[in-house]
Amino acid sequence: MTAPAQPGHPHPSLDDPRIMLDGQIGQYEQVPPYPPRTEREAEFYTLGDGEMFLNMGPQHPSTHGVLRVVLKINGERVVDLDPVLGYLHRGVEKLCENSDYHHIISQIDPLEYVSSLFMEWAPVMAFEQLMDVQVPRRAEYIRVLTGELLRIASHALFQGWMALDLGGLTPILYSFIERDEIVEMLAAVTGQRMLFNYFRIGGVNGDLNHEFMSRLGDWMSRAAVQHEANIGLLNENEIFVRRMRDIGRVDRDTALRMGVTGPNIRAAGIPFDVRRAHPYSVYPELEFNVPVRGSNGSGDSLDRYLLRLDEVRESIRIIDQCLHNMPDGPVMARLPRLLRPRPGRAWAAVESPRGLFGTYVISDGTDQPFRFRIHDPSFVNLQLVGMLMKDNLIADTMAVMASLDPVMGGIDK
Amino acid sequence: MDRTLKARLEARLADRLTGPVRQRHDQTEIRIRPADLIDVMRVLHDDPQFEFIILADLAGVDTGDTMQAVYHLWSNKTPDWLRVIAEGLSRDDPRVPSLTGLWPGAEWMEREAYDMLGIVFEGNRDLRRIYMPPDYKSFPLRKDFYLPDDSARGPGGGVRHVEEPYAPLAATERSIRRTVKP
Repeated sequence: MTAPAQPGHPHPSLDDPRIMLDGQIGQYEQVPPYPPRTEREAEFYTLGDGEMFLNMGPQHPSTHGVLRVVLKINGERVVDLDPVLGYLHRGVEKLCENSDYHHIISQIDPLEYVSSLFMEWAPVMAFEQLMDVQVPRRAEYIRVLTGELLRIASHALFQGWMALDLGGLTPILYSFIERDEIVEMLAAVTGQRMLFNYFRIGGVNGDLNHEFMSRLGDWMSRAAVQHEANIGLLNENEIFVRRMRDIGRVDRDTALRMGVTGPNIRAAGIPFDVRRAHPYSVYPELEFNVPVRGSNGSGDSLDRYLLRLDEVRESIRIIDQCLHNMPDGPVMARLPRLLRPRPGRAWAAVESPRGLFGTYVISDGTDQPFRFRIHDPSFVNLQLVGMLMKDNLIADTMAVMASLDPVMGGIDK
Repeated sequence: MDRTLKARLEARLADRLTGPVRQRHDQTEIRIRPADLIDVMRVLHDDPQFEFIILADLAGVDTGDTMQAVYHLWSNKTPDWLRVIAEGLSRDDPRVPSLTGLWPGAEWMEREAYDMLGIVFEGNRDLRRIYMPPDYKSFPLRKDFYLPDDSARGPGGGVRHVEEPYAPLAATERSIRRTVKP
């Protein structure tokens, strides 16, 4: 059953079933079936000698969600590629502009579903700036504690995914053991395993409870040992290392110009970490290092992988300090239920496991933000694949993409 | 708030600024004309007293009367975020120069602002829709685009929802209820 014809409309959607019915399969010159819209698209969809298109996704298991990549290949080599986004687009920004300030926290939770506390953190900080709210210190410590726990869970999952994309099945099983411990722990305090909806404007929803603390103590007693054991699973594996080394190299200048943030820029030799570059919350009081790799100019997939493992060690250090330094006191500031901040603008950014996650909010004095802009790090980081994949093998495409650690929920918003 | 940054910006960019340099919390804000955008960004990026090397964000804004392109920058030389607002774009034909010459990574953010708000970034060589399908005609984040469940403009009020696909942009209905001071 085809969609009804749209009179006078020259550009059918790529999802339109008529494309498959009208075109003859095998005539790749007809992809895309409309005149090219830009110079770049015209260049990409012109085939050279011996080249063909290969469509990867959006249902490919290793695209980390619903990413579609059109590869232009010559034999086994990737000549060029064109990522096609939007299969998971939900219009979160528009939804947030039509929600009140408290509601937004739950609206943007599902953006990056493996690290959703960071998605709550940035807007909450921006709203607190708009309303000049002072957050109790205990609440700030709880935010850092839960955030760093989730960073470990996210990086553990990354390690498993990375191996899975290279064909190794075992590490992801161990990753999920690690991650499950943490999400169960957070579920004890927030009530949810993935979409926590825990941070509030002016604090957090509920203090730490006994179950959380006993689980955390249990986990902390062996976290460092467990982490070293998980490292031993892969880092000594020759096949794994040789498929990662010298592939997908990013140098310093490229990383800066491409707007890359997070572990990906630190693996290119630039120590840019929002927790140190623009300190927020109680991070200035905590001791931790910003791991950097690739200073010698390598900046390859292996560096990006190893750097995330280094970060887990630092996160364990931060959690340890949080537990020792956490003050007593309230976890919420006193605020009215209905928030109507004065007209103004605010920008807040946090360091999520994938990089700089920021929100820009414009208030017009009503209970809903006038403009709510979400800056997602995976969206910007994913731009690198086009550059990194040129002249590499098809089999390495997914390895390089996995080393950038994108999450499609955040990219497509 | 970094008072010295304000003084440095006023001294270096005096003739380019269209309004006072504003500061609040950890943000410093300057306003410029879209035509000056490339020059100002080059100064901010290259001048050793600024060195704003990281483009943290690019956002399009529809204030209801005009459009803006808003950039957030980070530098090692100041503890503040710098917000650069290229203001006064017309809603009928919003145009602003592309920053892809300076930060190639701005390409997708510009595509997103084009997709969502219809702002045309002149010089971006791949300015096509990034989220919405190629045959989509509306710009969803504009203030004259209402959600289908918007009670004041529901089907009961005789308003067709989601989009009016085949009408050219200039002919779409303009009924903006919310505006903000630019």
